[in-house]
Amino acid sequence: MLKTEELQINIGPQHPSTHGVFRLMATVDGETVVHLEPVFGYLHRNHEQLGEIWTYLQTITITDRLDYFNSMINEHGYCMTVEKLASIEVPERAEYIRVIMSELSRILNHAAAIGFWLQDMGSWGTTLMFGFRQREMIMDIFESVGGSRMMCNYMRFGGVARDLTPNLVEQINLFLEGFPQFIDDFERLMMENEILLARSRNVGVLPKELAAAYSVTGPVIRGSGIPYDIRRAEPYSIYDRFAFDIPVGSVGDVYDRFLVRMEEMRQSHRILRQAMEQLPQASGSYINQAYKAASKQQGLRLPAGEAYCRVESPKGELGYYIVSNGGNSAYRYGIRAPSLINLTALNDMCRGYTVADIVVILGSIDIVMGEVDR
Amino acid sequence: MRAMWEFFFGVGWLATLTSYLTITTAILVAGSLVMMLLTWIERRGLGYMQDRKGPNRVGPFGLFQPIAEAIKTITKEDITPTDADRWVHFLAPVVILASTVAAFAVIPWGNLIPVDINVGVLYIVAVSAVHTVGILMAGWASNNKFALLGGMRGVAQAISYEIPQVLSLVSIVMLVGSMSVVDVIQNQMDPYGNILSWHIFTPVGLLSFIVFWIASLAEGERPPFDNPEAESELVAGYMTEYGGMKFAVLFLANYLTNFAICAVTAGVFLGGGNGPGSDIPILGTLLSVFYFLAKSLGLFFVMVWIRGVVPRLRIDELMHFAWKFLLPLALVNIFSTSLWIAIIRWGAEQGMGIAEALGAPGSIARIAVAWVVTAIINVVAFFLVARLNATRGVTTYQATPTAV
Repeated sequence: MLKTEELQINIGPQHPSTHGVFRLMATVDGETVVHLEPVFGYLHRNHEQLGEIWTYLQTITITDRLDYFNSMINEHGYCMTVEKLASIEVPERAEYIRVIMSELSRILNHAAAIGFWLQDMGSWGTTLMFGFRQREMIMDIFESVGGSRMMCNYMRFGGVARDLTPNLVEQINLFLEGFPQFIDDFERLMMENEILLARSRNVGVLPKELAAAYSVTGPVIRGSGIPYDIRRAEPYSIYDRFAFDIPVGSVGDVYDRFLVRMEEMRQSHRILRQAMEQLPQASGSYINQAYKAASKQQGLRLPAGEAYCRVESPKGELGYYIVSNGGNSAYRYGIRAPSLINLTALNDMCRGYTVADIVVILGSIDIVMGEVDR
Repeated sequence: MRAMWEFFFGVGWLATLTSYLTITTAILVAGSLVMMLLTWIERRGLGYMQDRKGPNRVGPFGLFQPIAEAIKTITKEDITPTDADRWVHFLAPVVILASTVAAFAVIPWGNLIPVDINVGVLYIVAVSAVHTVGILMAGWASNNKFALLGGMRGVAQAISYEIPQVLSLVSIVMLVGSMSVVDVIQNQMDPYGNILSWHIFTPVGLLSFIVFWIASLAEGERPPFDNPEAESELVAGYMTEYGGMKFAVLFLANYLTNFAICAVTAGVFLGGGNGPGSDIPILGTLLSVFYFLAKSLGLFFVMVWIRGVVPRLRIDELMHFAWKFLLPLALVNIFSTSLWIAIIRWGAEQGMGIAEALGAPGSIARIAVAWVVTAIINVVAFFLVARLNATRGVTTYQATPTAV
């Protein structure tokens, strides 16, 4: 046997498939990964500190920049936390609109995540563009409601900023009609692809126990076989009114996470269908009008206390923790970012696989650096 | 060509030298022009597959885009990394390009034949193997870990895939009885312009084509075998530290290799410039060049098509595929080729071959018997090898998300 030497390669911070400025210090023996250390912090923007300086209303705008793929869900979680602390009632119609927007962002995120994942695997753009076509349609909807495609800034304390117009309802329904066709096409194109199966099955296996020990959430833990979803474990908003299934994988490999994401898009579509059906019967306005009128007179001051709220972001459990001392901005503000915590399991997932697998495994976790570094 | 120059110069050696220089220049110019066309086809083709337009601003349909890009790369600064081995770093693109261009010496463009040497097929394989040295030079000299990994991958991949590639060509050489590329093309010529005489339409030739085409994709570093330059893993593989003109040369060599693959495939399996009317004196030459380009570019479009859909194989899976899938098939194909030759030629002189013994006189019947026998062997072999390769994963794994 020839004597071989371990080689350390820095994948990143500038690298095509690290999903942002992120560095992986990989120690490799030939092409096999011996050790892998994620290094992050290149995109730190003082998010939590800003949240303690800015007023509550201003902070909504920077929650968009956390996980910039699904700003709607970020806002949803933040607004819920503030509403919990300030005991602001949310009308039924507003809740429906929030759920619709959240599920649309989940589809948006998963479509893009699968596209990026396949791009990392080397399928050269076609699949990414397939995902992006759906993403584009949803972003048109977001642009109509929020005024911006990615940084929507749409949710407010007590509801949402604008009501859904009949035109928009039609646009959403149109999207929902075309969506099953997309996902069927995508499955036919990719799900049984021989190379994809070879690349992803039994790669990056995260066993059930390890997944729980690392407290990973989202599609990663569901891919490992634990049916943990905040929408079911601790139903927030009006998620207890909808019928939907939680897909789980059986092995915990990269392919399972892919299947889970595909199935979650179908389930989101199911929720959206129900929500759109029930929306006309929902009582109340798009925002708590009494609170809206009161907040025009004076800015929001939360009573002293603390609150933690969590929502199921497409990446996992997204939690907001706010401590108030009675002022008009948070005294302490903290975020449990799913991307960051899912990333901690990366070393265990990658060890023993090859350099080519690193990017595939990283893509299957689906991180957004804006959320990891905050 | 030589006769023409001799008419001008009246000196024999000068005419020979000039005629060779003319041919070389023609190959280089035509090669570069085709390479520009190829990049355009690739980007436009991929664009339409991906719901976008691709380059369409410079010139009609964006056809001049490659020229704009050539100017851009030429005017860029030429950078050599600090600790790089300067000479090797400089020579690597030269080696790669030279080996690729050298292969064009024996590739006939329809009826236009640069050089006809009696070991043409062997020459193509041998010369394009030098390419591997250039990849290793580029990877090693760059003093970059990504480049090194890419170079290593490139060498491992090229060496592995050369074996099935050569073995699949052995079948065709056996069939033709000559290694000259011109003879291989002549063998597919049918007096009635019948395309069924192409090698791809025999069972032996078809399997040979499949093995050769897949192995060539790996040789040319085309997806799904683009591991040496795997963008999402190794940034740009062995090309990472190259910029400006050196990168342009590597890029040119890359596309020329791809075109050489397509041209060889078109010549060996699809009859080269053969087609209706290709034997008419002057017009036929033009027609044959047209047929040759149509076939080659068609094959290149298939390459683009493959690139548009499939993900990349991992390097170890790639090796498994070469040794466990392509190599057995190529060996089986050599066996059935020998059967084919045996059935058609054995006892033909005495008028008592196997076919006659089976009760079918005449050469048509011989071909029919040979066809059926080799087809059965090849189809059985193909599905057997595919099955043996597939069962590995399927039995150990089953994952469907179950709703909870």
